[in-house]
Amino acid sequence: MVQERRILYEHLDTPNINTYDVFRQHDGYTRFEKAIAEYQPEEIADMVKEAGLKGRGGAGFSTGEKWSFVPRDIEPRYLCCNADESEPGTFSNRYVLEKNPHLLIEGILICCYAMGIETTYVYIRGEFTLGKKMLDAAIKEAYEQGYLGENVRDTGLNINIYTHPGAGAYICGEETGLIESLEGKRGQPRNKPPFPAVQGVFMKPTVVQNVETLCNLPFIVGNGVEWYTQMGPTYGDARFDPPKADPNTGTKLYCISGDVNEPGVYELDLGLTCTELIEVAGGLRGEEVKAVIPGGSSAPILTHYELDTRLDFTSLTLAKSMLGSGGIIVMNETRNIVDCLLNIMKFYAHESCGQCTPCRWGTPWVRDIVQRIADGDGRQTTITRPKFGVTESGRWGDTGETEEIYEDLDLLENVANNIANVDTMTWNTICVFGIAVSWPAVSYMRKFRPEFEAAIREGKLVTLPVAEATVPPEENYAYQQRIIPKEFADL
Amino acid sequence: MSDEIIQIETPFQFNEENKREFDELIGRYPVKEAAMLPTLHLAQKQAGYISPAVMKYVAELLELTVMKVKDVVTFYPMFFEEPVGKYVIRVCHTLPCALRDCKVVLEHLKAKLGTDIALETNLAKGTTDDGKFTLMKVECLASCDVAPVIMVNDDLYKNLTPEKVDEILAQLPN
Repeated sequence: MVQERRILYEHLDTPNINTYDVFRQHDGYTRFEKAIAEYQPEEIADMVKEAGLKGRGGAGFSTGEKWSFVPRDIEPRYLCCNADESEPGTFSNRYVLEKNPHLLIEGILICCYAMGIETTYVYIRGEFTLGKKMLDAAIKEAYEQGYLGENVRDTGLNINIYTHPGAGAYICGEETGLIESLEGKRGQPRNKPPFPAVQGVFMKPTVVQNVETLCNLPFIVGNGVEWYTQMGPTYGDARFDPPKADPNTGTKLYCISGDVNEPGVYELDLGLTCTELIEVAGGLRGEEVKAVIPGGSSAPILTHYELDTRLDFTSLTLAKSMLGSGGIIVMNETRNIVDCLLNIMKFYAHESCGQCTPCRWGTPWVRDIVQRIADGDGRQTTITRPKFGVTESGRWGDTGETEEIYEDLDLLENVANNIANVDTMTWNTICVFGIAVSWPAVSYMRKFRPEFEAAIREGKLVTLPVAEATVPPEENYAYQQRIIPKEFADL
Repeated sequence: MSDEIIQIETPFQFNEENKREFDELIGRYPVKEAAMLPTLHLAQKQAGYISPAVMKYVAELLELTVMKVKDVVTFYPMFFEEPVGKYVIRVCHTLPCALRDCKVVLEHLKAKLGTDIALETNLAKGTTDDGKFTLMKVECLASCDVAPVIMVNDDLYKNLTPEKVDEILAQLPN
């Protein structure tokens, strides 16, 4: 069985780790001291790039590369720590904030040193009242100990951290939505470019990083790049190893919930399979796995045929899904996929910020279609096409071929694909919320089509056995490459 | 209609403590507007909800138009534009909680409190007649491992069953 490797979470359950004294006893702030004593800021940025650290917030973009886009000649620069953890199925940041806030502060300090940043805003979602309280207390202690404020530890650095509460909007987890919200406006995402790295908060260069990403920094600096790159997937088979240029190094805080016996956060090397993860989380609650959502509710669903998929950034992208924020939701054989999709679509219809028309209107439409199917009012027609053949009377003529058309399923796919097209990966909206809507909608429908058809046919929700409910991989559209080759697209 | 006029005519002001906290807040940002969310949180804590008078006061503090403040208030679900109960109960009903029977908890709360679920546009619908509780459905509270969960004002309660809900309601001070 795969063993947990606790690095970020090592001292999570140590009593009073949220206080400076106890944190200090467990190497606290020594990594920051090492950084300022031994390395130049640019060297730290290079180390992060070499370590192959990928952003843990959702997009999985290389952190070092993101930092390299920040112009170092424009002052002031800002760091925004994204603690607006709202993706359904994700809950790892909450524990860091509530139990080990000094680790986050140390990560922020290292980032500030590397990028020459003086001001950091930690955007905490409004519901995390305890997390904000603990972080505020830790920041106060860090000021008292001279790690924050003016002339940090006599190095001439000025670093300030402020917490900023959100107010319950999911979209503020999107980096430009977060920036708008931080500026005191509606949290509606901005057009990119300009990217936040060039023009972010208050139109100044801004680094936006997730809590988990920042918490990785002390360990990269403290233990070195070589130690860090050892962790991560090597599958002993070059075909399945992630490419050298795109490494998946380090550990990930996998949040597992739903139908498992011991839901919770497990810190594991990137790259174990779904089956292994379910085993680590105390096994399945139920008889059979019906479906797994691998990266928060916006990730395309995996069927029981795909349980050997490796849970790392590269493998899941190849499987046409994503690791996202690492929120894994497991569903057993008793779950109805139509019902699950309805729940998720209600979430997105509620959380659409209303800025772009395809999303503002399309998302509630998708919800209404799924609601209609779940209520048993799904639309269906039988069409008859002329077909030449031997008729009942024994003559040649029109035998009439009939076909069942599930109108609502086609409509669902059409509407969803017009918010964001999952096959070409293009979206008609400003931010990626659009793709977060159509990804689940289309993938659930394509991969569990028999269950949707049954609901329409029978006029009520029907939970089929797992084998019957799932479309086999060879018939599954989601597996087939349907992107038009470039040379044809130009015609 | 008449209510609204009265509310605008009853001005709102921060108390001493909140005024101090606001003065500390405003220094954190290069532009005053950025202090909007923390200021609205403070105001809501003091007034209970964001009335037109509160919006007017916040607009004056941040040197903005009232419309700009209203614009923000309407966007975020955590800001209330109508009076709410002393205890706001938020029940998470997103997928991981739904897989762990949050419906049972919600139905139990509805029966126990004798109220419906509040809508964002109609909070009175989910508020009990004595003004003690407001029952709301909310989206993911990021505690999926201990689902189903509810929040009562600022406190999170985990792994709920109808019995546990009864205990929680019983221990709330009047």
